Amino acid sequence: MQDTDVRTRGARATARAPRARTGRRLGQALIPYVWIGPATLLIAVVVLWPVVEMIRTSLQKISSSGVTLGSNGTTNYSDLFDEGDLVHVVVRTLLWVAGVVIVTMVISLALAQLLNARFPGRRVVRWAVIVPWAASVLMTALVWKWMLDNYFGVVNEVLLDLHVLHKPVNWLAHPDQAMLWMMWVAVFVSLPFASFVILAGLQTIPGEVYEAARVDGSGTFRTYFRITLPMLRPALLIAAIINVINVFNSFPIIWAMTQGGPGHATDTTTTFMYKIAFFDQNVGESAAMAVVNFALVLVMVLLYLRASRWREEVR
Amino acid sequence: MKRHLIGVIAAGLTVTLGMTGCSKGSSSGGGGGDSKTIKFVAAIYDDNTKGYWDGLIKDFEAANKGYKVNLEMVDWTQMDAKVKTYVQTKQTPDILNYNAFSDFARDGLTYPASEVVSPQVLSDFTPTFVDQTKYNGTQYALPFIASARLLFFNKDLFKKAGITNPPSTWAEVKSDAQKLKAKGAVGYGLPLGPEESQAEFYSWAMNDGGGWVDSSGKWAINQPANVDTLNFLRDLTKSGLTQPNPETTDRKTVFNQFAQGKVGMGINGPFTRAGFIDPVNKNLNYGIAPLPSKDGSVHNTLGVVDVLNAFKNGGKNKDAVTKFLNYFYQQQNYAKFLKLENFLPTTKSAGSALSSDPYYKQFVDALPQAKFAPTSNPAWSAVAGAVKQSMGTAVASGDPKKVLDGIQKTAEKNG
Amino acid sequence: MTATTVRTKAAAKPKPVSFRKVILTGVAWLVGLAFVAPYLEMLVTALKPEHELMRSSYLPTKWEWSNFVDVWRAAPIWQNMKVSLLVAGAATIVTLLCGLPAAYYTARNRFRGRNAFLLLILITQMFAPTALVIGIYREMVALNLTDTLLSLILVNAAFNLPFCVWILHGYFASIPKELEEAAFLDGAGRIKALVRVTLPISMPGVVTAVVYTFIGAWNEYIVALTITSSPNRQPLTVAIPSFVTQYQEHWQYLFATSLIAIVPVVILFVFIERYLIGGLTAGSIK
Repeated sequence: MQDTDVRTRGARATARAPRARTGRRLGQALIPYVWIGPATLLIAVVVLWPVVEMIRTSLQKISSSGVTLGSNGTTNYSDLFDEGDLVHVVVRTLLWVAGVVIVTMVISLALAQLLNARFPGRRVVRWAVIVPWAASVLMTALVWKWMLDNYFGVVNEVLLDLHVLHKPVNWLAHPDQAMLWMMWVAVFVSLPFASFVILAGLQTIPGEVYEAARVDGSGTFRTYFRITLPMLRPALLIAAIINVINVFNSFPIIWAMTQGGPGHATDTTTTFMYKIAFFDQNVGESAAMAVVNFALVLVMVLLYLRASRWREEVR
Repeated sequence: MKRHLIGVIAAGLTVTLGMTGCSKGSSSGGGGGDSKTIKFVAAIYDDNTKGYWDGLIKDFEAANKGYKVNLEMVDWTQMDAKVKTYVQTKQTPDILNYNAFSDFARDGLTYPASEVVSPQVLSDFTPTFVDQTKYNGTQYALPFIASARLLFFNKDLFKKAGITNPPSTWAEVKSDAQKLKAKGAVGYGLPLGPEESQAEFYSWAMNDGGGWVDSSGKWAINQPANVDTLNFLRDLTKSGLTQPNPETTDRKTVFNQFAQGKVGMGINGPFTRAGFIDPVNKNLNYGIAPLPSKDGSVHNTLGVVDVLNAFKNGGKNKDAVTKFLNYFYQQQNYAKFLKLENFLPTTKSAGSALSSDPYYKQFVDALPQAKFAPTSNPAWSAVAGAVKQSMGTAVASGDPKKVLDGIQKTAEKNG
Repeated sequence: MTATTVRTKAAAKPKPVSFRKVILTGVAWLVGLAFVAPYLEMLVTALKPEHELMRSSYLPTKWEWSNFVDVWRAAPIWQNMKVSLLVAGAATIVTLLCGLPAAYYTARNRFRGRNAFLLLILITQMFAPTALVIGIYREMVALNLTDTLLSLILVNAAFNLPFCVWILHGYFASIPKELEEAAFLDGAGRIKALVRVTLPISMPGVVTAVVYTFIGAWNEYIVALTITSSPNRQPLTVAIPSFVTQYQEHWQYLFATSLIAIVPVVILFVFIERYLIGGLTAGSIK
């Protein structure tokens, strides 16, 4: 509210100043587009064009060697919807996103609280938590795959030495276990960003609010759920939305750890799309999968737009 | 202040554009109009491959003034994606080292072999491989290297388990595997993961009367013999005679365990000694035997051939491509590659080079009876892709017949 | 520094504070360790001799420090590292050059198309290169930009731009106008006021945008894998996995290179961690 006032007032003030100096109306009208032009252009050319290209490709017939043979109508789409695995893959993708994001948010809330507390060596611990963000997701996925190896992975070694297991478990070979481990890796690489956004959010909550709560005699839990959590909503929303995007599009984790296998048992839409193009040699159908994927993203955009309107009300 | 900022921005832009411009410029010799410069994409077989090509190209360029070969090395795991990229973007190299050729030939992208090598080179190829590189009766690709698959077995483990001879029938495979298991080893190492499950499966199916096509050349992937083969492999797996989870295991894992003396038997090619065994355990006591067959009567061998494709790219490159290919197939150049990389020759003249080594002799001798995947069918790459993705599930959660039906469907869809 | 629930509670009930603190510190240190543990395993593996890789043992019998030297010879890592730095650096510059003006202007002014622009930013934030890789690829073919660093720079800059505009927009909006107006009265132009007054205050926001873009570009994998083909134009993310191929597994080199790639970024973080939290704060309260 107050923010908007400032902005409007500012707009009037700055609009007046240059006009007094130049007085050229047309030039004046174009000024905003000089400021936002480069960004708009870059997004239009590099982000929006591929969307169009992708839709075009999904309607073309492309031979197994890669030569474009002309229009294919909607055959690519009917082929795609004929794939027996499609429904499983889409459902799995939604579970993957929901599972990873929810767990990430819950852990991040606790982690941010921890990182905000005072203890000796807090700096170093914060640096340590950042490391998975600094490391590429691919490398992190590879090292987890390495640690989970059936024959010499350190995870099996430790569990055997602790007598939790009697014989090695081939973690990444069984679809359900593999899925859980990959979700864990996705959570692991998502935690730094999410917890730092929430940590940043925590630091914006004025101390007086807690003072007031204390005076009212609220307990720790009450204070947390009645005061801290609601005030963290904007930070949580940002952390969650960025996380949803990253997790939905996460290719390296699954590709490095199981290649979506055995069969299609651990595929998400992204790896499925890749396999249609490069195993089944069908680029057209793969583009159709990409369009479907894109439609899922659009649904999430709509959900997000609703959520952010709600956010403006809060503000 | 303002000038300073603009200076910084300008410097930034210069760096960005200048550097990228540079790196683009340095490459543009690649596939351009210069007919004396060609681009060659070679597959990485091991750490020595690049060194070999660098040396050969240097010698070639010295011997043929004005000609230039730009080399790009691509790993097999990225090769399929790369090749698709090249074709779609019309940026195909002039020469491509690959394991497929027929869809290029079908789409009119490559030269017939007779146009890009001298008659001497052409007539030097072993007939078996000439047949494997024909599309519609014309030879398109140049046979590059060959490989055959045989049964490796650990002699020490066999002795410990009281087995005297390597198995000849499937029943013996199973009983030997049980004896090996009783001694704490993995009986048979079965790699049915996405790496090369089509090769492993075919090594078994061809010795049960199965295969990819019927006698008329039509896809027959779900034929009863193939189902029977998968049932046998599934039985081995479910009886705990293989390593855990064949459906996610690749050859390198199986043969690393084999080299460590933990696996009794496994099927692999001539590359095994130099690539998988020696780096881990030079003293491993192992033997090589023909592939076991269901009834023990005939022992077929799986043959594999990689090829060189010569792309037309407008036709101006023909002279340079021909010169380079003829140069490569000169006997000493070609034999040097085979020796370095431990593969089998595809030419008659190089044939003798490896036979002196008793290890290689077994593979060379097995080649004439070898059976190959139907690479001359343009649909094969899609079929192989489908096999790689799903064949393994037939010994795990899937049902053999249903898995094969699915692959058959893919095959028929692709023609 | 603001108060936290933990402190508040500790202050409310004068219990043995030191005991709580010991537990808290212990837990925090364990958590920190958990986050670096996989990378320690990476280090241990990178120091194993090749023939010890595939055997179960916690530590190498012989610490092969030479792996970190040999790896530079085993592959053109230096070249890949230069590519990664160049792409990430240039993408960050492009993002800032495009993003800063847009974020600033939209935070300060209302004009026709402002809402449309902000909506575009909001929506394109949801787009990721992974889902669009086929389209990106075909576009770069059309522009004749395949296998160029420029294509990688543009893609990384464009896909990170929306988030940066958003963060910066939020930050600029939170800075009181009055500061700039004072500068105007002094006779400074708009750009001068932006550079002299607003930018210095907005440093945390700028740093966050820089880090976000830089890390995003540094770690980008699938577009680089698809678009580049020449080894001397591939970033580290594409070069590193090629140590493990169909026939060869040099995991020790793979992990050694990974660590070489991770360390500079971690150091970068160590220096800017303070700003980072400030920058993210702005984004989250807006």
